[in-house]
Amino acid sequence: MKGKRMLMFELVRGAAAIALALAVGTIFIFLSSDEPLNALRYLLIGPLVSLKNGVASFNTQGLYTILAAMIPTIFTGLAVCVMFSSNQFNLAGEGIVMVGGFVAALCGIYVHMNTGWHAVFCVLVAAIVGGIIMLIPALLKVKLGASEMVTSLMLNYICMYVVLHFLNYNFADRSKGSTQTYAFDATAKIPSLVSGGSKLTWGFVVALVFVVIVGLFMYRTRWGYAIRMIGINQAFSKYSGMKVGGTIVLSQVIGGVLSGMGGGIEVLGRYSTFLWKELPGYGWTGITIAILAKNNPLLVPLAAFFIAYLNKGCQLMATYCDVPSEMIDIIQAAIFLFFAAEQFLSGYRQKIVVKNTRADLAKESAGLEGGAK
Amino acid sequence: MEQNETIVQMKGITKVYPNGIAANQEVDFSVRRGEIHALMGENGAGKSTLMKMLFGLEQPTEGEIIINGEKVQLTSPTVAIAHGIGMVHQHFMLVPSLTVAENIVLGMVPKKSGMLIDYKKALEITKEYSEKFNLAVNPDAKVMDIPVGMKQKVEILKALIRGAKILILDEPTAVLTTQETTELFKELIHLKEQGYTIIFISHKLNEIKQITDRLTIMRGGKTMGVFETASITEQEISRLMVGRDVVLDVEKDAPHPTDVVLRVQGLRYTNEWNKRMLDGISFAVRKGEILGVAGVEGNGQRELVDMLFGLNTPDEGAASVDGEDIVGKPQYRIRRLGVSLVPEDRMTYGIAEGASIEENVISDRFTEKRFNHGPLFNMKAIHAESDRLISDYTVLCKSRRQKVKMLSGGNIQKVVVAREFSSDPTLIIADQPTRGIDVGATEFIRKKLVDLSRAGAAVLLVSADLNEVMELSDSLIVLYGGKIAAYFEDTSELDDVVMGEYMLGLKRQSDEEIGRVCHEG
Amino acid sequence: MWGQLLDTIFKAEFLFSVIRITAPILFAALGALIAEKAGVINIGLEGIMMISALFGVLFSYWTQSWLIGVVGALIVGVLLGLLMGFFSLKLKTDIILAGIAVNMMGSGGTIFLLYMFTGMRGNTGALVSPNILIPTVNIPLIQDIPIVGEILSGHSVLTYVAFLAVYLIWVLLYKTPLGLNIRAVGENPNAASSVGVSVLKMKYIAIAISGALAGLGGAFMSMYYSQGWNSGMVAGRGFIALAAEAMGRCEPVGTMLSSLLFGLAQALRTKVSGLQGVSSYLVSVIPYVVTILGLVIYAASTLKKVKKHRAKKAQLEVQK
Repeated sequence: MKGKRMLMFELVRGAAAIALALAVGTIFIFLSSDEPLNALRYLLIGPLVSLKNGVASFNTQGLYTILAAMIPTIFTGLAVCVMFSSNQFNLAGEGIVMVGGFVAALCGIYVHMNTGWHAVFCVLVAAIVGGIIMLIPALLKVKLGASEMVTSLMLNYICMYVVLHFLNYNFADRSKGSTQTYAFDATAKIPSLVSGGSKLTWGFVVALVFVVIVGLFMYRTRWGYAIRMIGINQAFSKYSGMKVGGTIVLSQVIGGVLSGMGGGIEVLGRYSTFLWKELPGYGWTGITIAILAKNNPLLVPLAAFFIAYLNKGCQLMATYCDVPSEMIDIIQAAIFLFFAAEQFLSGYRQKIVVKNTRADLAKESAGLEGGAK
Repeated sequence: MEQNETIVQMKGITKVYPNGIAANQEVDFSVRRGEIHALMGENGAGKSTLMKMLFGLEQPTEGEIIINGEKVQLTSPTVAIAHGIGMVHQHFMLVPSLTVAENIVLGMVPKKSGMLIDYKKALEITKEYSEKFNLAVNPDAKVMDIPVGMKQKVEILKALIRGAKILILDEPTAVLTTQETTELFKELIHLKEQGYTIIFISHKLNEIKQITDRLTIMRGGKTMGVFETASITEQEISRLMVGRDVVLDVEKDAPHPTDVVLRVQGLRYTNEWNKRMLDGISFAVRKGEILGVAGVEGNGQRELVDMLFGLNTPDEGAASVDGEDIVGKPQYRIRRLGVSLVPEDRMTYGIAEGASIEENVISDRFTEKRFNHGPLFNMKAIHAESDRLISDYTVLCKSRRQKVKMLSGGNIQKVVVAREFSSDPTLIIADQPTRGIDVGATEFIRKKLVDLSRAGAAVLLVSADLNEVMELSDSLIVLYGGKIAAYFEDTSELDDVVMGEYMLGLKRQSDEEIGRVCHEG
Repeated sequence: MWGQLLDTIFKAEFLFSVIRITAPILFAALGALIAEKAGVINIGLEGIMMISALFGVLFSYWTQSWLIGVVGALIVGVLLGLLMGFFSLKLKTDIILAGIAVNMMGSGGTIFLLYMFTGMRGNTGALVSPNILIPTVNIPLIQDIPIVGEILSGHSVLTYVAFLAVYLIWVLLYKTPLGLNIRAVGENPNAASSVGVSVLKMKYIAIAISGALAGLGGAFMSMYYSQGWNSGMVAGRGFIALAAEAMGRCEPVGTMLSSLLFGLAQALRTKVSGLQGVSSYLVSVIPYVVTILGLVIYAASTLKKVKKHRAKKAQLEVQK
């Protein structure tokens, strides 16, 4: 009974945090827009509901674009879930997504296969490269104790510049106006899932498959279990006989694999050449998603949907009203702050719940002893 | 100077903690001005708690405290300091990268030109007090570079500079070498001559005899009496300090020990403060016997257990289980040899409190074939295992999914024990297995330990609980000063007085007698 | 190419630019330093710089005074620091997450704020006029010394402040009671609170000062370096500052030296990108690689010290 109450409390707390974050956003909308109510409409219901001649209808293309936007962020969200579960603040997802996309593109251009396995091959290579790169901050942390936060932040920039270098000097298609590679083979592109311009590809299905895989991995395999226990109490894990160093490295390599995969699938799905000129930002979004999902892979799609929805809403606001789309960053930051605040709304209420539980158990056990005697 | 005036009086002090444990019961404690008064007792006797209340770190449930004839409420250390009480803790409260002078004036820093530290003044103050009290310190040295003895002097100066007239020293010699101890005593006598009152918490008989005027003995949360140091013998002190009001009755069959499982040879270890904690420990534990390790805490027990489970490495010596070396090996290797540990610090090593009972109980076996179907867990098998353990070990909980931190102390320990005892161990090392837990859980765990031993496991029981170590063990060794002081093959003949004498260093068996515990040949 | 390169490096003009480029990194690095001394990790420096930079320009535009602009940026920095402090110390949001949140606010939120206040998008081009930029100073006497004068004189006011800050922070930390308390709180909070020093108060003060320094760094960027605010201007300097502080072994002078190293790397990159045949991208990588190497060396040397200590102890034991 009490356990359920705790769960309810957590849900309420989370919802309150999100509501508060949205409220903060709303305040800013009112401060900056001449038509705040209209802007709010676009933000809150715009993504899925379109109004034509006063008639509201469900916007299926809108839904598809949101789902398409979720593809890379599900992968980065999963990556962060795994890495943060072992208590490592590794932020290198950003850079690896870019490298993954680039490597996948190159495989699509310069390696020729004539079946659908081409795309699979490209993404696989991207994933492996991502995993290998993540060895750097992982090993430095485990062997030398170097802060994975600083090394991973630096790695992001190194990844970006290295990719940009090769893009500009070795692989650029000089016939095009803006910097980009040649087009990749048709066999490398990831096919669309639905018609229309939503860019919703089979990558979405792959993403969901991986949600299940990662969820199973974290909660139903010995490696995922070890990763989580190490994150909860490293001393206990070592004492219980787990190989702590190796497991920490594993968790980060998996993060790299997932990020690389996400980058590869996004580039091969959405575009026809590689044209990113800077870090695409999916890594940071992945962190927000992991926070919302409380590091639980199975909740990642929900969180990703929520963020993609908000993002779309902000974009609509920007297009049809006068509110800049960057509102999404303000809302995300507020969600971060409130959602991750352990003490937010907890106050004494949580303590009371815990006290009650302990008292109950003590009473019960005392009763048992008394009875036995 | 009124030598006989009572300066501190604690009347009828009772302290009961929320979990029901009574640390002090109707304790009367009084100290005269200008005397060095020892507060003695084993660990758990209640002396630390009593002094915490004198320093405002805790509040008594009942009773009153009178300082200089005035009734006071010591609600915080600041209030205690205002009444002239200073305390030097066992774990120093110093900032390592700051100098001695800076540590001493922290919180009351002399200033010049309004904003800057007048470091010269700080040095002067330090030198002044250092000379006045004959506590030699190097004012300009960084605390991280000075030896332990000097760190202690800095702590004492810190208290004196804040106006303390009454000094409480909590086991001050626990971290000092013999040389440093002698120096400390000289300084304490000097302070006494200048009219300061010193309360000296300790369990070391020889030291008490050296410098104290009177002593108060505590046992089991109660006072056993106040005595003039000169007119009481060490044997009498020992008898009062170490003893049981009620002797525990443990039902067990006679042991039939067979082969040696754990063999420890010549372990030596000096800690980072240059104190030799293990000084040549050798013993053996056999299948089917419970070997107890008795002794007042701080005599090497902690270090011994750490060495045997790979949490620390000795400077010299060897230890093996069934012939396989375990010194310096990683935990998974040691566990694979069939060793289980019930750790003293259960919250840090014994459980992951944010995880569920099930997750905790399989932490040492989750890689086994019977729990895995290829890459995935065999959840049915895992659930069956946790349910079985929860029921076998009567862990009171809502379900196996409940987070461990929600359980009571006794049930948390049952989770630890459920895991450690159920891995079919060859050797069980139990370190304070029933400390701080309820009666029911305690009885349960002790019975399990006996059952496992009679079924063939070797058990090493380290316990500061006299009843436990004397009644539960079949044989026992007493640790004193990092060495084995005694080996008793049959504990059923032991009495408290004898135990006390060995535990407090009054007696020591011959090497031959002690050597029998190695069971060679 | 190498000849060309060497030619440029040893010109006074180059060293001048190194100092100029180092200044904002130095501000942020000192901010990281003082927070860490109190036991607080401030990774929100990047975001604080962005937001303060914007407000610096806005304030100076509204009041037509560069001084008020700088002061405004500083105050905004303090407020952001206190915000982080509030969420991490009172509401127990992980300090690192609070920092990431501030960075998010910095990257997108600033564009939004700019629009909200001025209706402009992306950059402040039209707002900025020479009279509200931070003035440069020509130091009399020094400016006449050949070479040295060219390097040291003629920097903006804030540049000098940045290097002066190294000294001021050093004084604060090692010569004032506040600094003593901050260091005590960071190393051993129990020791500090046992003598009546408020651990919370010290952490708030430290993070506020940290924000102030980052704020000055931001003001430097928008009101002197880039002469106006645009959304990509800070470009990771806040993160580089973290690295510089880590390499600086948590000391003001060390932090200054490692900041100069990064400034040098960035100045090189600008120079080199102008040359033929050298990829500016690869040069850009240098500061980040250098950081990782620096951390590795630092960590490895600390490990070695521990091993040496154990070996020595074992030796002593044997001799006994």
